[in-house]
Amino acid sequence: MRCALGVLATLCALFLIFSDAVDPSNFKTCEQSSFCRRSRKVQTSGSKYALIPGTLNTYADSLTADLVNKENHHQFAFKLEALVGSSFRLQIDEKQPLKPRYRVEHALKGQPQTGRIRVQRETDGEIVITSERKQGRLVVDSIRRYCRRLLKVYDHLFWFLFYYNLCFNYGHSWQETGSLSSPRISFRPQRTAGVYWQNAAETWVDIQTTETNVVSSLVNFVSGSRKTPPPAAHFISESGIVDAFILLGPKPLDAFRQYAALTGTHELPQLFSLAYHQSRWNYNDERDVTSVSAKFDEFNIPMDTMWLDIEYTDGKRYFTWDKFKFPQPLTMIKNLTELGRHLVVIIDPHIKRDNGYFFHNDCTERGYYVKTRDGNDYEGWCWPGSASYPDFFNPVVRDYYASQYALDKFQTVTSDVMLWNDMNEPSVFNGPEITAPKDLIHYGNWEHRDVHNLYGHMHLMGSFAGLQQRDPNQRPFILTRSHFAGSQRYAAIWTGDNLADWSHLQHSIKMCLTEAVAGFSFCGADVGGFFGNPDAELLERWYQTGIFLPFFRAHAHIDTKRREPWLFPERTRLVIQNAVLKRYSYLPLWYTAFYELEQTGEPVIRPLLAHYPLDKEAFGIDNQLLVQDRLLVRPVMQQGVGKVDVYFPSVDDKKNGDLWYDVDTYQRQEKSGYVSVSVDEYKIPVWQRGGSILPKKERQRRASTLMINDPYTLIICLDRQGKATGSLYLDDEKSYAYRKGHFIHVDYEFSNGQLINRFIGKPNYKTEAWIERIVIAGLERVPNGATITVNGVTQQLEVLPHEGHVVVRKPGIKMDVDFALKLNF
Amino acid sequence: MQGMRSRSLLVLIPFLVALLLASETSASGEVLRPVGVSLAKAALYQPRADKSWTCLDGSRSIPFTQINDDYCDCPDGSDEPGTSACAQGKFHCLNKGHQPIDIPSSQVQDGICDCCDGSDESQLVACPNTCQELGAAAAVQRRNEAELFKKGAERRQELITRGKQMRAERESRRLELDQRLKEQELLRTEKEQLKQNAEAFETEAIDAFKEQHRELDTDTAKAEEEPKEMRKEASLSFIEYDTNTDGFVEVTELMVDMVLDKDRNGVVTKEEARYFLDERDRVDIDAFITLSWPRIKPLKMLAEGLFQPPTPEDSTGDAAQQTEATPEKINPTSPHLNDEQADLAGDDDIEADEEGDEDQYDDEEPDVGVGEATPDVEDAKPPVYDPETQRLIQQANEARNALEEVERSIREIEHEVKEIDEQNGKDYGPNEEWAVLDGQCYTFEDREYVYTLCPFDRTSQKSRSGGAETTLGRWEQWIGQPKKYSQQKYANGAACWNGPSRSAIINIKCSLEPKITAVSEPNRCEYYFEFETPAACDSEAFQAETDNLHDEL
Repeated sequence: MRCALGVLATLCALFLIFSDAVDPSNFKTCEQSSFCRRSRKVQTSGSKYALIPGTLNTYADSLTADLVNKENHHQFAFKLEALVGSSFRLQIDEKQPLKPRYRVEHALKGQPQTGRIRVQRETDGEIVITSERKQGRLVVDSIRRYCRRLLKVYDHLFWFLFYYNLCFNYGHSWQETGSLSSPRISFRPQRTAGVYWQNAAETWVDIQTTETNVVSSLVNFVSGSRKTPPPAAHFISESGIVDAFILLGPKPLDAFRQYAALTGTHELPQLFSLAYHQSRWNYNDERDVTSVSAKFDEFNIPMDTMWLDIEYTDGKRYFTWDKFKFPQPLTMIKNLTELGRHLVVIIDPHIKRDNGYFFHNDCTERGYYVKTRDGNDYEGWCWPGSASYPDFFNPVVRDYYASQYALDKFQTVTSDVMLWNDMNEPSVFNGPEITAPKDLIHYGNWEHRDVHNLYGHMHLMGSFAGLQQRDPNQRPFILTRSHFAGSQRYAAIWTGDNLADWSHLQHSIKMCLTEAVAGFSFCGADVGGFFGNPDAELLERWYQTGIFLPFFRAHAHIDTKRREPWLFPERTRLVIQNAVLKRYSYLPLWYTAFYELEQTGEPVIRPLLAHYPLDKEAFGIDNQLLVQDRLLVRPVMQQGVGKVDVYFPSVDDKKNGDLWYDVDTYQRQEKSGYVSVSVDEYKIPVWQRGGSILPKKERQRRASTLMINDPYTLIICLDRQGKATGSLYLDDEKSYAYRKGHFIHVDYEFSNGQLINRFIGKPNYKTEAWIERIVIAGLERVPNGATITVNGVTQQLEVLPHEGHVVVRKPGIKMDVDFALKLNF
Repeated sequence: MQGMRSRSLLVLIPFLVALLLASETSASGEVLRPVGVSLAKAALYQPRADKSWTCLDGSRSIPFTQINDDYCDCPDGSDEPGTSACAQGKFHCLNKGHQPIDIPSSQVQDGICDCCDGSDESQLVACPNTCQELGAAAAVQRRNEAELFKKGAERRQELITRGKQMRAERESRRLELDQRLKEQELLRTEKEQLKQNAEAFETEAIDAFKEQHRELDTDTAKAEEEPKEMRKEASLSFIEYDTNTDGFVEVTELMVDMVLDKDRNGVVTKEEARYFLDERDRVDIDAFITLSWPRIKPLKMLAEGLFQPPTPEDSTGDAAQQTEATPEKINPTSPHLNDEQADLAGDDDIEADEEGDEDQYDDEEPDVGVGEATPDVEDAKPPVYDPETQRLIQQANEARNALEEVERSIREIEHEVKEIDEQNGKDYGPNEEWAVLDGQCYTFEDREYVYTLCPFDRTSQKSRSGGAETTLGRWEQWIGQPKKYSQQKYANGAACWNGPSRSAIINIKCSLEPKITAVSEPNRCEYYFEFETPAACDSEAFQAETDNLHDEL
C-alpha cells in the first residue's frame, strides 16, 4: 500500500522523521463518526425492538417474522435461514424504507445452499434452533453489558488498526480481519464459531467481554468458569441491511470451510507466483530491470518475477509506458521470460484527467466515472495529479476495463505480464480519510457510503476478467491492496506499507494469519520493510520469515537505499540465498497446499489453534505458524538473539504433543510446551510434524518455472506409531487444464516400514519429474536396504544412514505409477 | 539395465542416461572424462581397480558408475559434474571456438542454453552451437579493443608528457614562488615601516587641523544655513573648475574631471559636460550655483563614497551574487516543508555556497583601506584641509597603498602555492596521465538534466529547464577495484531532502576522445557516470590482461 500511506510521505514529512509511516490522526475514531457515536450508546438490555405477534412463520429452510421498533413503530422484516454445513444467515431489512437499503453484491461465491431448520425449544427467552445436523446449534441470547473494545474495520485502514490494536492479536477469542466483511471467529476448546457480517459501509465492531483482557476472559471461559459469559460483539454499520452469517464450526477447520463455502477460495495460482518476487519503487529503466535479473543469476539466487511500480508509465497514465525509460518493453519482457521469469506491472484505478489520454476520454464521453452528487465526474488527487475514478460497480465499465487488457489493445505487454492493483480503496490524496467522499454516486444510484468497501473488489473483478479474456488458458495473477470478502477468488494481497523495523516484521505473521483464517491465504508483507532502510540483520531475518508466508516479495520505497542481496556483505548475501533456496525447495508443498485450499477451503497457513484447539496456551501464540498441518514455523524476529522460545502445542489438555523434527537436523522434539532453541544467523527454526509426509524439490534453479521436470524428494517424519501420511499435487503449473482433470494428486502413506501411494482421482498428467530421494526420520532401527515394487517388478535400493534419518537412494519412480517401497531390516 | 527399464516403470530418465553417462569420446582426440569436467580436472576422474571412486573432498567412496548418474552422492558435489543433481556443482562448458566457462549446476538441464556449445542441455532442447560465431565476434571485439588501446595509448603518452611537464612546471613554479614570497615578505616589512611613519605625520597634521577647525566651526555653525553652505561649496567648486580664471566655467574645463563621466566609459564627452552646464557652452558663477552644482554634487559625493544611490550599474553585480548564493534546489517533493525544515535544508547547503561567499569577499576587498579617513556621515562635507595636511594625507595614502599592494601580492602567491600543493597532493596516476584532466569540465545531457564532470574537482547537475546547479559531489579519491584508476568517487555533494549527501561514482574507460557516455541514479542521490578518456588507455595493462586470458585458454 503505497498511496494511502505513501501520500503521508509527502504531506507529513515530519512524521517520516519519527520513522513511522502511518498517522492515526488521518482516520476517524468512533467518537468522530456520528453514527458510531450514536449507535454505540444503544443499551443492549431492554431492546426497543420487538417481534410482532403472529408474524412468525416457519418454513423448511427458514424462519421469518416482522419486527417493530417500539419507539417509532418502524417495521422490519426478519429472516433466519439455515444453510448447508452448519451455518445460518440472518437478514433484517426495513419493510417500507424511504430509500432502499444496500445489499452487498458479488461478495458471495453464489447463492448459498439452504438447509433445514427446526426450532428446538423456547425457555427463559432462549431459543435453540438447529439445522438438520445436530451439531449446528444456535442459541439466541441477548447481548449483555461487558467491557468494550472498539474496533473500526474499514478496509484500507486495517493495517493501521491492526498495528494499534494488539489486544486483538491472533488466536484470541475474536479474529480481526482485513476487510470489513470477514468472519469473526470465536474459538473455544470444544467449539469454534464465526460471524460473517456482510456490509460494505463504514463499520465498527464493539468487542465485549467481562474481562479487561481478551485472553484471560477466554482462559476463564475455557476453564469452565461458568460465571463469565462468552465474549460478545456489537456490529455498527452506517448503512445497508443487517446481513450476518453465523458459522457454527464446531472445529476451527470446519468454520474455515463454512466461510469458504460462502465466499469461495483462491484459485490455484501459477507456480511462479508462489516463488520469489523482486520489487522496488522503482526499477528505473529497461537496463535496470535486465541487469538486476542478471545479477540474481550471477549470485545464483533464484528469482521469478520482476515488478514495475508506477514510474514505468507515461506520467501515471496506466496502459502506457514511459517511452524514454522503457522504449522497448517487449524486448525487456522477452529478456525475462527467456530465463523463465515473469514481469508484474502496476495498474491503479485512478485515471489521469488528460484530454490526450484515450482512457480518460473514453470514460468521460461514455460517463464511466464515479459522479458527484450534482452528477458531474468526481475529481480527486492521486499519483497523476487530478484524477477520476471509473465506476466499477457498473458492469459495462468492468467490461470496458477488462477489454483494455487485451493484447491488441495493451500491445506493449505479453500474456506473461501480470498485474498489481494498488490504491483501489480508492485512495484520494485530498479526500476525507484519504479516500472518496461518502456522498459520491455510483451505478444504481447508490451512495459511496453504501458501497465504499466493495470498490476495490469491483475493480478486481474487472482486472481478473481482463486477464482471463486476454489468455483464457492462463491463470491470472493479481496483487491487490483493497479487498472484501470474496476478493480471494481474484487476487493475492500484501499487508500494505510497512516499515523496516523489527516490530513490523513481527506483525507480518500476525496479519497474514488473520487474513488466512478469513479466507485470504495468499498473503505476504514487503520483505525488508517498505519505508526505511533495514540493516543487514533485519533484512536477513525478514527474508527468513518471508519465505514462510504464502506471498513472498521484497519491495522498497523510492527514497530507500537499494537493497538487492548482493549490495550487502557476503554473509548477508549467503544468508538470503540460503533462505530463498529453502523457499524454492518447499514449492511443491506450497503448491499442494494451494490446490487443497481451492478444494477444501482449508487455509495454507494456520494458527496453532487450527489444529490444537484443546491447547488453550496455543491460542495466544502469534509468532508461530503452521503450513497446513505439516510444518511448524517460528522465525527469528528479534534483533541480536542467540536463541528463541518455541511453543510445541499439545493435542489434548494433558500436555501430550506431537513429535516434531527439525527440518535441518532431524533432531526430534518430544515434549509439548516451550522449548528454548539456539539459532545462528542462518537458522530458521522450522519443524516437520511427526506423522506427516511432504514433497520437496531440492535442486537449485534460477526460476521456479525451470523446475517443472526436476525430481521430487519425499520427507517422511514418523509419529509415535511409526506412521505418516501426506499428499502431493502437481500439474502444468500454469493453465486451467487441471480443471479438466489434467493433474496428479496423490496420498503417500507410511506404516510398518512400508511406503505406498494412493492416487486421489486418476493421475492424468504427463511429467518428466520423478522421485529422486526418500528421507525417513524417526525409525527405531536403521534399515540395511529397501525393496521397491512397481507392477510386480521389484528392485533393491540402497539406504544411506545419516544423523537422525535415513535416505533411500534414487528410487527413480515416475510420479503417476503405483508403487510399494519396503524397508529391509 | 535396458531390459529392466522396459519391463518395469522405474524410470531413470532415458535422455539423461544418453547424455550424462557418455563421456567425451576419444574420437575427438581428447582425454576421456565425464561430461562437465574440464580438461584440467580430467585426471581426477579415473576409476580405481575395484571400479570405485572417491569424492574429491575425500569424504566417501562410491562406485565409479555413480558419477553423473543424476544423483548427488558427494557432499562437495564432485560426483555430478554433468548434471543438476548437486547443489553447489560446477559444469564446465568446453565451448570450442570460444571461451570455456564454468556454469553453476543449477543451469544444467533447465531448458535454457547457457553454454555456447549447448553442452549443458539435452538433445531435446536442441541448443544451437554458437561458439564459432561468438568466438569470431569476440576476436573482432578484442582486435578492436586492442586497436583502440593502441591508438589511445599514443594520446595517453601525450597526456603523460604534458602531465609530467605540468608537474615539473608546478615544482619549478613552486620554488619560484617560495623565492618571491621571501622577497615580498621582506618588502612588506619595509612598506609597513614606511606606512607607520607616514601615518604618524598624517595623524599629527589632521589632529592639528581639526583642533583649528573646531574653533572656527563653533563660531559659525549656528549662523550657517543650508543654502549658504551650498553656495559656499558651489563657489569653491566654481573656483576649482575655472582653471583659466575667466569667471566662467566652460565645457572644456569640465571635461577633465572624470567624476563627471556619467556613463563611465572613461571619457567625459562634450555632451556630458554640457549637461552639467544646463546645455550651454559656459556658465557664470550664479548660473553655476543654481543650475550646475545640483547636478554635479551627487556625482562628487558618489566619488567620495558618501552617497549610494540605487544605481542600476551595481545591480548586475548583485544579481550575479544572488544567483550564486541561491541555496541548492530543494527536493521538489517537499512543498510542505515547514520553516524549520526549510532552514535545515538551507543549512545543508552552506557548504555548496562557500564559493559564492568567497566571491563576495573578493568583491569587497578592494574597498578595504580606501575609506580610511572615514568621513563623518552627519557631516556630509569632507573637511577641506590645508595644502600641507593634504600632502601628508596623500603621502600616507600612498604608503598604505604600497603596503596593500605588497600584501595582495603575498596573498596571491600564497594562494597559488596552496593550489600547487593541492594539485601535488592529488593522485594523477603513476605517470601523471590524469593531470591534464584537472581543470577540464565535461558535460552530458539527458532528457531532464545537464550533468557536468570536472575531474579532480566536482560533479554537478542542472535542470535543462533552468534553475540552480546542484553539486553531486566533490573530488574524493580513486576507488577502482582491482584496477584503482578505473573508478573515481566524488562525495559530500548537496544534501538530499530527507536523505544523504549526494555522491557520484565515475566509471572510466579508454577511448580516443574524452566524453561522458551515460549518467544514472540507481540509488536515490547516488549517481553513476560513464566516462571515457584516452588517459585510461593503458595498453600495457590491456596487453597483460589479454595474455592472462590466453594463458587460461
